[in-house]
Amino acid sequence: MIQAVRLQTEDFSLDAEVAALRAASKRIGGISTFLGCARDFSGEREVCEITFDAYHGMALSELIRLRDEAIAQFGLIDARIVHRLGTVRAGENIVLIVVGAEHRAPAFDACRWLIDELKARAPIWKKEVTPQGESWVTPHP
Amino acid sequence: MINVLFFGPVAERAGARQISLDFREGLRWQDVRDTLRARHPEAFEIVSIVAVNGLRVSEQDTLPLADGAEIVFMSAFSGG
Repeated sequence: MIQAVRLQTEDFSLDAEVAALRAASKRIGGISTFLGCARDFSGEREVCEITFDAYHGMALSELIRLRDEAIAQFGLIDARIVHRLGTVRAGENIVLIVVGAEHRAPAFDACRWLIDELKARAPIWKKEVTPQGESWVTPHP
Repeated sequence: MINVLFFGPVAERAGARQISLDFREGLRWQDVRDTLRARHPEAFEIVSIVAVNGLRVSEQDTLPLADGAEIVFMSAFSGG
């Protein structure tokens, strides 16, 4: 069984993660997903790729903690979080959150909460690579 | 030894990802910050989060560091 929370350089499969979640329980009545992708623009600039750096140990611990908190707070049946590190080209996947609950409302709410908290609490930084040069991204809502 | 780590934009400004400092009794993370801030002022301009041994600390946390402690000075996160 692939770990429910991962930091990895390679791409991930949305279908595989949803299937892994569904295999956890037949009590799941609603699954919500958030898939973050690398845009090919930022403001007025073309973006070729994004590189991610992380304080790996703390980031993984924080993501595991977030999953535990979400399961407890929203009464989820299961949740999975995958975030890529290293170089991600424009158009590729960055982050995936998949949550399963008995009903749709907690699934939607937990998914939104998880991505917002991940951005605020996981020690991960991204740098945009453009034809004009590279720059670290300033956090934004 | 005290092991100091930098990541992302802080590492770029500091020109290093890791620095080792000599340990001495009574050393606090604030002492390490003050020492390194004098050496790398541009890097510390954007430091807003500090972790000791993987746990976030605040200015009020003044317990002495243990030999071998790991300190990370970080800028605001931008993952996701």
